[in-house]
Amino acid sequence: MVSVEREGEQKRSLSYRKNKCVGCGICSDICPTEALRLGPLVPIARGLVDMDYVNVDKNKCALCGLCASSCPFDAFQFKIDDINIKENELYPKWKSSAEIDEEKCLYCKACETACPRDAITVSRELPDRNKLVSGEIEINEDTCIYCGICDEMCPADAITMNNENIQDPEIIVDKDKCVYCLICKRACPVDAIKAACRSCSYGVYEINPEDADTKGYTFIDNETCVKCGWCQEICPVDAAIVSKPFEGEAIFAEEAECKGESCHACMDICPCNAVSLEDGKSVINPDFCILCGACAKACPQNRIIIKRDKINLENVRSKSWQKQIDKLAGVESK
Amino acid sequence: MPVEIDAEKCGKIVNCPGEGLCIKVCEQGAIVNENDDPVLIPENCDDCDLCIQSCPNQAISKKS
Repeated sequence: MVSVEREGEQKRSLSYRKNKCVGCGICSDICPTEALRLGPLVPIARGLVDMDYVNVDKNKCALCGLCASSCPFDAFQFKIDDINIKENELYPKWKSSAEIDEEKCLYCKACETACPRDAITVSRELPDRNKLVSGEIEINEDTCIYCGICDEMCPADAITMNNENIQDPEIIVDKDKCVYCLICKRACPVDAIKAACRSCSYGVYEINPEDADTKGYTFIDNETCVKCGWCQEICPVDAAIVSKPFEGEAIFAEEAECKGESCHACMDICPCNAVSLEDGKSVINPDFCILCGACAKACPQNRIIIKRDKINLENVRSKSWQKQIDKLAGVESK
Repeated sequence: MPVEIDAEKCGKIVNCPGEGLCIKVCEQGAIVNENDDPVLIPENCDDCDLCIQSCPNQAISKKS
């Protein structure tokens, strides 16, 4: 939905994208005309009210596009003559990114599980089981009494007994599923099953290494990813590479008291799942923190201070814009 | 020191843009709805100040 639009020499429009906004307030800190106002952050984060984190004052907005350029989450879309400034080489670009090295990825799905934004999808194709084990199995239908014991016991769900037609029952072994464990053979009360495992009788069975490979594809949705670094930390083979929007640290004001369990505003708003409570006080894990400052804005005690040493926003060509952007560096609390 | 609710600024909960947001945001149960007015239970207040910053009418404060 377009928040502000005007036509002059150019047609300019600014659209707020609620689903991308995390409530960090960088836009309101940076807006040169103070046109952006934050809503009640904690109630919104907790889903108590259905409001936007950011409200745009149409009368104050100068449609400069600084908010859209400096939002690390792409929550503002700014268009000039219907072309997004992301496509315009004159405007700043974030250097932050998150990528998966497909050469290294084992498709273990650890990143998919850990991602606090549900931005990662791993699709994988498992090896054929029947290429990894080898053997023989046969059920003698003349001897079989169709008791179904093998069906119930088979750990691989490879045997199906169907006695719906009591006159003509059937028993089927799915050889794609059978792992030749021989449980069925041992449990059969009438010795109707002949089975042998080739892997066991001849020692380690030689398989084609390619047949054992899990193939797949890991996709990071850049529309929802916040470059928090969870995937990078959790990946057992260092296949995820994340570069964050800011460098620096989040520190706590010593004089302020954390209300811990009573409040936990910081935990609720953090888009990165980087905040936890230890001994009743909130702590921020720097591995996952992106220094967006949402927690500092949400904390009613003003206990959190975001120190940004480096802003990875490149191609800032205007000096006045650079001056505004530099306000994000250094110490900031509320 | 517990917070104070200014009844005049607050008005009735039925008129609150946040539909009694202070009550919803306080997990300590320190503010309750009594006859459509938010009423403070001081012994439950842990001074987290979430209600102060959430109140759409700026009706909650602390004596300084």
